Amino acid sequence: MATYDLTPRIGPNLDRHLVFPLLEFLQERQLYPDEQILKAKIELLNKTNMVDYAMDIHKSLYRTDDVPQDMVDRRVEVVARLKALEDAAAPLVTFLQNPNAVQELRADKQYNLQMLNDRYQIGPDQIEALYQYAKFQFECGNYSGAADYLYQYRALCTNSERSLSALWGKLAAEILMQNWDIALEELNRLKEIIDSKSFSSPLNQVQSRIWLMHWSLFIFFNHDNGRTQIIDLFNQDKYLNAIQTSAPHLLRYLATAFIVNKRRRPQFKEFIRVIQQDQCSYKDPITEFLACVYVNYEFDGAQKKMKECEEVILNDPFLGKRVEEGNFSTVPLKDEFLENARLFIFETYCRIHQRIDMGVLFEKLNLNYEEGERWIVNLIRNSKLEAKIDSETGTVIMEPNQPNVYEQLIDHTKALQGRTYKLVGQLLEPAQAQPAC
Amino acid sequence: MASKFWTQGGSDTEEEETDIEDEIENGGAGETTAAAAGSRYLQTNASDSDDSDGQKRVVRSAKDKRFEEMASTVDQMKNAMKINDWVSLQESFDKINKQLEKVMRVTESDRVPNLYIKCLVMLEDFLAEALANKEAKKKMSSSNHKALNAMKQKLKKNNKQYEELINKYRENPESEEEKFEDEDEDEDEDESGSELEDPSQIAAESSDEDDEGEDVDDDDADGAWEKKLSKKEKLMDREFKKDPSEITWDTVNKKFKEVVAARGRKGTGKFEQVEQLTFLTKVAKTPAQKLEILFSVISAQFDVNPGLSGHMPINVWKKCVQNMLVILDILVQYPNIVVDDMVEPDENETQKGADYDGTIRVWGNLVAFLERIDNEFFKSLQCIDPHTREYVERLRDEPLFLVLAQNVQEYLERIGDLKSAAKVALRRVELVYYKPQEVYDAMRQLAVLSEDGEKDGDETKVEETRGTSAFVVTPELVSRKLTFPENSRALMDILVTLIYKSGDERTKARAMLCDIYHHALFDEFSIARDLLLMSHLQDTIQHMDVSTQILFNRAMAQVGLCAFRVGLIAEGHGCLSELYSGGRVKELLAQGVSQSRYHEKTPEQERLERRRQMPYHMHINLELLEAVHLICAMLLEVPNMAANSLDAKRKVISKTFRRLLEVSERQPFTGPPENVRDHVMAATRALCKGDFQKAFDVINSLDVWKLLRNRESVLEMLKAKIKEEALRTYLFTYCFSYDTLGLDQLTKMFDLSDAQIHSIVSKMLVNEELHASWDQPTRCIIFHDVEYSRLQALAFQLTEKLSILAESNERAVEARFGGGGLDLPLRRRDNQEYAAGTAGGGGGRWPDLSYNQGRQGSSGRAAYTGGGRPLALGQASRDRSSQSRGTGGYSGRAGSGMRGYQMDASARMVSLSRGVRG
Repeated sequence: MATYDLTPRIGPNLDRHLVFPLLEFLQERQLYPDEQILKAKIELLNKTNMVDYAMDIHKSLYRTDDVPQDMVDRRVEVVARLKALEDAAAPLVTFLQNPNAVQELRADKQYNLQMLNDRYQIGPDQIEALYQYAKFQFECGNYSGAADYLYQYRALCTNSERSLSALWGKLAAEILMQNWDIALEELNRLKEIIDSKSFSSPLNQVQSRIWLMHWSLFIFFNHDNGRTQIIDLFNQDKYLNAIQTSAPHLLRYLATAFIVNKRRRPQFKEFIRVIQQDQCSYKDPITEFLACVYVNYEFDGAQKKMKECEEVILNDPFLGKRVEEGNFSTVPLKDEFLENARLFIFETYCRIHQRIDMGVLFEKLNLNYEEGERWIVNLIRNSKLEAKIDSETGTVIMEPNQPNVYEQLIDHTKALQGRTYKLVGQLLEPAQAQPAC
Repeated sequence: MASKFWTQGGSDTEEEETDIEDEIENGGAGETTAAAAGSRYLQTNASDSDDSDGQKRVVRSAKDKRFEEMASTVDQMKNAMKINDWVSLQESFDKINKQLEKVMRVTESDRVPNLYIKCLVMLEDFLAEALANKEAKKKMSSSNHKALNAMKQKLKKNNKQYEELINKYRENPESEEEKFEDEDEDEDEDESGSELEDPSQIAAESSDEDDEGEDVDDDDADGAWEKKLSKKEKLMDREFKKDPSEITWDTVNKKFKEVVAARGRKGTGKFEQVEQLTFLTKVAKTPAQKLEILFSVISAQFDVNPGLSGHMPINVWKKCVQNMLVILDILVQYPNIVVDDMVEPDENETQKGADYDGTIRVWGNLVAFLERIDNEFFKSLQCIDPHTREYVERLRDEPLFLVLAQNVQEYLERIGDLKSAAKVALRRVELVYYKPQEVYDAMRQLAVLSEDGEKDGDETKVEETRGTSAFVVTPELVSRKLTFPENSRALMDILVTLIYKSGDERTKARAMLCDIYHHALFDEFSIARDLLLMSHLQDTIQHMDVSTQILFNRAMAQVGLCAFRVGLIAEGHGCLSELYSGGRVKELLAQGVSQSRYHEKTPEQERLERRRQMPYHMHINLELLEAVHLICAMLLEVPNMAANSLDAKRKVISKTFRRLLEVSERQPFTGPPENVRDHVMAATRALCKGDFQKAFDVINSLDVWKLLRNRESVLEMLKAKIKEEALRTYLFTYCFSYDTLGLDQLTKMFDLSDAQIHSIVSKMLVNEELHASWDQPTRCIIFHDVEYSRLQALAFQLTEKLSILAESNERAVEARFGGGGLDLPLRRRDNQEYAAGTAGGGGGRWPDLSYNQGRQGSSGRAAYTGGGRPLALGQASRDRSSQSRGTGGYSGRAGSGMRGYQMDASARMVSLSRGVRG
């Protein structure tokens, strides 16, 4: 089942620290041998300052109490560096920890800098030190500290590049602390900067967008309102193009979001087109499911894909989030997905059929007869479906859905008025402008 | 009287001939008849010596024949002199000049034959004599007198060119004569059997001379070259015959300046100059000087090329490549020498010897030379008839150039001139991009083979260098071997990456196009498409030069073919239809000149167009292209026509196809298909009836399919597509006749699986192309009758007309104000165009347009006829983008599914491009 695992493709677009949750998840699902994952973890930790953690893993991996010398050395080094940075940033940190002093800060950045410089002898060097210290804290795994410092750093920082990377750091820290609401705010702030800032090359901008989208996965699939927002973000032209060109695997998440989210129908059609054209560059059961239902109209295939989707969702670190309820855990997204997917198949099926044998239908929907009949009755009662059940022959009969001639006529002519007005407006515009001259 | 008669006999206007005949009739004197006959014989003999040759029927080499012609002309002149006939003398003089050109071409030498010089001297003397004799002059007839004066001027002008030789001849007529014979002889040898070159003869010939035998490769042609050279060197040698130690940098420099100064002057033999310079390279004292002279040698070699349209003689080209390699050798050996064309180097810069430490600047531009060499190679391939062996031989020289380019590129990369390196890389890319893997492999093998062959040559070469007294010996430092990656893709990737990094705009654009072409050639449609869209070449191509536009057209054609091969019919059609809409494919791809009915091209335009032509081996097969285009159009258009059988004009996908179909339908009888077009039309007729088998059989019988590498799979795909479209057409056409239609029956009819048919029909149902629905328990399609009442139908027509009215208004406004925010009208332009075009024979619009452009071109800079199309391509893509924008409003309309389907494809191509731009 590891074939559909996206970790290798997502990983490079994340911060080192953000990969940990993914590895934890994989370990839990046991898709890969434990050893491999532990090794990967050590590999990951090598470049960070979480040496203690790395040592623990090393011990459990090789079942020894010895740790390699370089790890020990590194630990010493890290501690020393931490100390040094702490000293460097100390004046500012003490200042910031003093609530009275902090109140003296105002909204005006220049004033603040001036004030700090004059009254506390805190210059740019100290501020820079704060940034380094925060970064170091983050690398040591002290996310909450890092988040605080970075927040304060941003208030004082004048360098926009630095400010941006501080924002990235803050976002990562918030994600790792699972403060989804704050993380979402940071995300939006970052998005605005990325969209408005002029990058040295379009490629950099695309890359930033890709990162942003990958990081946002953590937030969107944990935040209550995330499933709508993921569509809002990913489905923007600029972001969709970034996905298409550089990270087609993100289509899985967008597709899932579309399936579980019923309110986004207009964009959905566009999205189907995207799925269709990107079939050559990326496919997994979820996108294939959509292709089956909306492109090829292969309902048997769709049903098969639906089963595969279940597996994929369970094994995906973002989609397969578990909720513990009493004794047993469920994956809420999975149930929602299946329910909606079923509805998709059924809807499309009904659109092109006049009469359907319920037995066959329920087989396609993975339902038993009783359950299915109830389901359909409910649909009819909620007037989602214009149909009747012929229980003698065991079929559903669709009401013929003829487009009304008059409606069509209205459709055709509706736009004309608007166009004419626009035309007149355009004609008059220069005419009005001329007398003014 | 007699003299006058003769005079008239000499000139050859018809009138005078009849005069003669009159006289004969009148006089009836036998003598006159004989004389007339004689004169006429003489005349014919003079005008066309082939006739007299015909009597003997001796097979002679072309050169001999030319010489003989010349000799006979000289005889004739002598005759004319005897009778003091200046009119015929003047004619003969013109003729001999023409013959001289021929002789020079045949012998490929720059030496004027002595016969000619002799003749000039004779004429000069005679002229002086005639001018001196004033009494005789007075007696002359008016026409004769006029001719004399004209001759005086002509001869003066002409003789100036050969002044030197004439003087030489006057000094020493005998030896020159002898020499002429001598040369004639050994030139004969070159012609006839230089393969069996007799080494002893060379030795004999060069024994008394100081044979410098420079390092030529052991090509047959060059053997001859060498010999001639040694002859020439005699002259030079006289100056440098002294003890080598006496030759100083100054003497060489002086001589060099002298030779260079003579360049371009009248009377300077181009070959001669090359030889003199080549000799100088050997006596050059410092490497820098040698380099400087070598650059001049190469420029002089470029000068040899007679005109813009002709190409450089092949042996000269090869020498040129060798010289370039020697230059590189020197540059590699002495890294302190810098080649630069920006600064004027110091006069005595090259005096600095090999042991000089600082940088030495030498004027020259490696890239320009390399590009020129490449251009000459390209030109020679353009000129040579592709069906001859010569062409193949010429193609074999390609590795030679590639070696050079590779070395130059390496050198430039080493000295850090990446911009120039990118230019060179582009030249390499342009030699590789159109080669499929098979051809590439063949080229690699050829390179390996020629290496083996060269090994023997190398040994002798080494000896030669040792034997010569060249002052600056240049060891072969630069490798003469080609290093190729296994895969042409790998090579392309390396080169293209370099270009993308450091090339200028044009280089990058061209490299990108080559890259696209190459990807398309290897069936990687999606990559090619993404590259095309992300580079935004479609938007900018109309601002580029014609040759890049042609490259763009070629790439588009190849992408179209690729799309077809991988089964993307709509995309394939999208790429190709633009190319075919004007009926000027040949011109757009630069694969031949197409005649247009509507206007004649000026000779200027024609010449430019001919210069743009692609060499034959780079051609994209036009029949295949046409077949693919028409088949794509057929697959899209036939169901479309069936769907909109009531108002066929409204939704046209391929205008070209529609027009062809109309033409073929108008024919009273349809014979068996002959060309591609007939085949597709026959297939279309079958497809319209839903007879997929026949349609496929007809298309399968085309013999262009053998050109495809993966023929089976493509045909398989094609068959599946035809089945599908046949099913769709059948349903569209006959849906009115059925109430229900069983799935099983369709399965049998179209030889498709249940699932496929279900899928296809479902798609049609969802797109509302077909008013029907499935009845699942009985497995059949139930058609719904949608019949409008008369009132309703009229109401629809009214709304239709209203929207057309609104659109034409919008267009009018757009035309007035330049159409800022109006995106709607563009969408419909195609259709309107078609409606307007059908009246005037459809395509009447394009030739008009190109005519205007052509006129502009001929008056302004380079004629631009080829540029017309890519411009249209660009426009079309913009049109398409607005189409896709407009889909939203129109998708609701019943029956617009087909259009929407097509738009999907185009929108896909455009939306990507829009996005990346944003």
